Amino acid sequence: MDQTMRRLFIAAIIVVTIGTLQGSLAIAAERTEVVFWHFWGGRDRPIVEQIVKGFNESQDHYEVRPIAMAGSNLDVKFLLSVAGGDPPDLLNHDDPVVGDWAHHGILTPLDKLAPPDEIQRLNKWLFPAARELGAVNGRLFALCNGLDIRALYCNRTLLDEHGLQLPATLEDLDDIAETISPAADSLGRNQMGYLPDPRRLWAWGIVFGGQFSDPAGTITADDPKIISALSWMADFSRRYGSSEVAAFRSGEQALTGAAFPLLANRRYAVVMDGQWRIRDVAEAADAAERNGTQADEIAVVPLPPPPGGVANAGWVNGNFFVVPQGARQKPGAWEFMKYWMGFSGNEVGAAEACAAGGWIPASQEIVDQAPYQKELQEQPLLREFVSLAASPYQRPVPNLPVSSFYYQEVVRAAQQVMYRGADPQKELQAAAERVRQRLREVVDE
Amino acid sequence: MNGNSSKSEMQAAYWMATPWLIGFTVLTVYPFLASLYWSFCRYDMLSAPKWVGLANYRRISTELFSGGTLAQAIFNTTYFAILSVSLSVVLGVLLAVMLSWEVRGRAVFRTICYLPSVVPIVAACVLWIVLLDPQQGMINEILLKLGIPAQGWFKSTSSAFWPPAWPEDHAGRIVGSKDGLVLMGVWGVGNLLVIYLAAIADIPPQLYEAAELDGAGRWRQFWHVTLPMLTPVIFFNVVVGLIHSVQAFTQIYIVSDGQGDPAGATLTLSLHLFLAAFKELDLGYASAVAWMLFVIILLITIWLFRTSHRWVHHQGGA
Amino acid sequence: MNNRTPGWLGFLSLVTFSALMAAPLLWLVLTSLKTPEQMASEPYSWWPSPIRWQNYSDAVTAIPFFRYLANTLILCVGNVVGTLISCSLAAYAFARLRWPGRDVLFAVLIATMLLPWQVTMVPRFLVIRELGLYDTLGALIVPKFLGEAFYIFLLRQFFLTVPQSLIDAARLDGCSEVGILMRVMLPLCKPALLTVGLLEFVATWNDYGGPLLYLNDPERFPLAYGLEQFISSHSSELNLLLAAAVLFTLPIALLFAVLQRAFLSGIATTGMKG
Repeated sequence: MDQTMRRLFIAAIIVVTIGTLQGSLAIAAERTEVVFWHFWGGRDRPIVEQIVKGFNESQDHYEVRPIAMAGSNLDVKFLLSVAGGDPPDLLNHDDPVVGDWAHHGILTPLDKLAPPDEIQRLNKWLFPAARELGAVNGRLFALCNGLDIRALYCNRTLLDEHGLQLPATLEDLDDIAETISPAADSLGRNQMGYLPDPRRLWAWGIVFGGQFSDPAGTITADDPKIISALSWMADFSRRYGSSEVAAFRSGEQALTGAAFPLLANRRYAVVMDGQWRIRDVAEAADAAERNGTQADEIAVVPLPPPPGGVANAGWVNGNFFVVPQGARQKPGAWEFMKYWMGFSGNEVGAAEACAAGGWIPASQEIVDQAPYQKELQEQPLLREFVSLAASPYQRPVPNLPVSSFYYQEVVRAAQQVMYRGADPQKELQAAAERVRQRLREVVDE
Repeated sequence: MNGNSSKSEMQAAYWMATPWLIGFTVLTVYPFLASLYWSFCRYDMLSAPKWVGLANYRRISTELFSGGTLAQAIFNTTYFAILSVSLSVVLGVLLAVMLSWEVRGRAVFRTICYLPSVVPIVAACVLWIVLLDPQQGMINEILLKLGIPAQGWFKSTSSAFWPPAWPEDHAGRIVGSKDGLVLMGVWGVGNLLVIYLAAIADIPPQLYEAAELDGAGRWRQFWHVTLPMLTPVIFFNVVVGLIHSVQAFTQIYIVSDGQGDPAGATLTLSLHLFLAAFKELDLGYASAVAWMLFVIILLITIWLFRTSHRWVHHQGGA
Repeated sequence: MNNRTPGWLGFLSLVTFSALMAAPLLWLVLTSLKTPEQMASEPYSWWPSPIRWQNYSDAVTAIPFFRYLANTLILCVGNVVGTLISCSLAAYAFARLRWPGRDVLFAVLIATMLLPWQVTMVPRFLVIRELGLYDTLGALIVPKFLGEAFYIFLLRQFFLTVPQSLIDAARLDGCSEVGILMRVMLPLCKPALLTVGLLEFVATWNDYGGPLLYLNDPERFPLAYGLEQFISSHSSELNLLLAAAVLFTLPIALLFAVLQRAFLSGIATTGMKG
């Protein structure tokens, strides 16, 4: 090997060594660093950064370091970090995984972070849905910091044009679907009155009066009421053709950027979606105003129940904090969680953040704060969602050791039915059986 | 060689092979045995593995027959592998033959056809995700201009070859996410071209001369000379291609949002076991699936070698 | 009329196929220069007008591009160095030295190439964790210092072609085995080293699975993984994403242009390994 090559070689080794070491030479800060992973991006990220800044300035013990991770596989990265022995101190996430993670012993129960009376107070402070989201067998393992509630967005202008009313019952909704999207001639369809999303069997099942688990934690996805909800959803596929429905639905993912299917060229008259779409509605109205056109009027209504169904019901999820067992800075994480939530302090700040983000707080106390009330005054659509937040019929995926498998199996069954023409009862029974089997295996240990 | 040197030679040899021996022991032998052991355990990486006998393999067999996710993953893997390999062989041979012609600008044509294969996989994914966008993608625009309905590509659960489109599917949207992945792979066929081109250059010109004397036209020369002479290389590419596509991960992970979207249409074995391990922390099951994958690859390879004599032309033989 | 020259139909199909292969790349480069409005505009036009170079500056500021690039380069250099050292040592031992167990181990080495990475994925992850390398670049670099079957095989084939007389002469001069490797083998096998180095460089540049498994702090992400983050967080800014993809591809394309021969011989050798 000649001189130049040898020199290059040595230089290369030095570069690598420095690069590799750099990671371990963390800057020794005076304050304790709390590593916080979250999935917030886009319009929400500045708000999250503001909250972190506010917290870091509010005290001098901790320094929260926010790290925005890609949302789609945050849980894989998180589990890898837990398995790798280097987890963050705090994670904000929104998939139904609390039950699974608690079962594996990954999460620090909140009662290890705070005295019993504080936990008791917290339990009362939270909305029922928020409590249920974080609790496994009655013990809090996650702290919900914002609810995601779904309701029907309706294009009132379009409904008016067809002489239709906002849907108050399931029958009204069927009318809308049939009037605006007749079954004949579905070739190249570009408009539907309403088209259920298979994932939302979780919502319609509850609206139809079904329960996805009983109080003992038994899997009941084959509840006859859930089966009838899925049969109702399957009627849409029968009317238009499974593939047509799948294709129409899959087109949605491709709508660009902020486009909300409801707003895309009157693609739908009615769409089920969450409160975060209010911003899209407002933006569309602003854009229309700038262009000198008239935007369609949008209204929000709760999911309309069938006869014998449940009003103000639906599927709820939310963002929640969890502290991994391997976290190094648990007290700092707990302080930051409380600060963000506005629990025991910073109530106004929390309400301001929720108002700025259009989020639904996890507690009535924050809803009642002036900044949030002001937001509700200005955003009548948000009011509809918040009024649902306190409903005991807003149910999350039950927190079981196999929650995420359960969630996926139900969605898969609904997709098989809607996109592949499978039989609702058979699919749901098979799915329920698979989940029960898995649950038996897991709990057997 | 003289005998004295052998002791120092031996010492030097062990010394020099040490890095690899360490790596081999720690990063291959141990993992190999550990995953075999874990496939008989329930294990979540966080607590000690617990022996459960054949439970994971039983789960595999029930999932196979009850139409669970695993059956879907096996179907997707098979579909992807067979289609990718057969298309890349056909296209690879055709293109290589064309690129071996003595035409003006041959170097340019060769570079053009090779270039896509050096595009990094993440960049290729970005490119094809945008190109194949069902609503605004360039490819659908072109299809529409040709009077072909827009296809769903990465956003669609359908597949062009199997299962057949549903009878009520009158919209003509038959091409789906797996086909998109195959297309993306075939675009990068370039590195196979190099191998085929080298093989074509090695074909003795006398064979063509003899064929020509027999009055064989261009097509017959291709069928009776070029193709038979290429079979050893084709065989090699089929073996390696199958092994690679059964293990393919990155492009599938990126295109499917890391979860086999849409609706599990791109959930391959590789992705399925990755998610079982790191999303569900079911490492025992994941190890069992990995071992199943290993056995499948082994069987396919053995089968290909066993049947190769039927179609692979050996120069010495005839 | 012979098999080396095509008829007009053949020529036409050659042109068509080449155009089809080139079109996506051409489209990528052209579209990365468009404004967002142009991308959405009807009717579709291939040419960007005006040309928006700003996409490129925006793309490198929208993500910590240079941080990612630095990480990628560290990994590339580390992996190439590690691979060359460990693999040429082992290859020499397999090619030119006699020791008990050599042939058995060599057969085993060949066999490991058949083992799917999925089988060893999880235990490897735990080994890396036990070594305290999780979430460091070392997790990706250190294994490369421990050799890789395919490269060892490839280098061994090259080392076998060096005449034994040269080695014997060096031994007579009192040269140690490492000395022979350094002064005789490596200088004679530069093309092989270049090929291995290049293959490893490109593999590292493109590696996505490694960072996905082993890195969790964005400070340490390499480009291949950082770019994917960009897909999910900037999905609406397609022109920036495409510009980033061009930037990510360009170095590899240039490398290929400069070192075409080494690339092609590398691949042709890959083809002969069976």
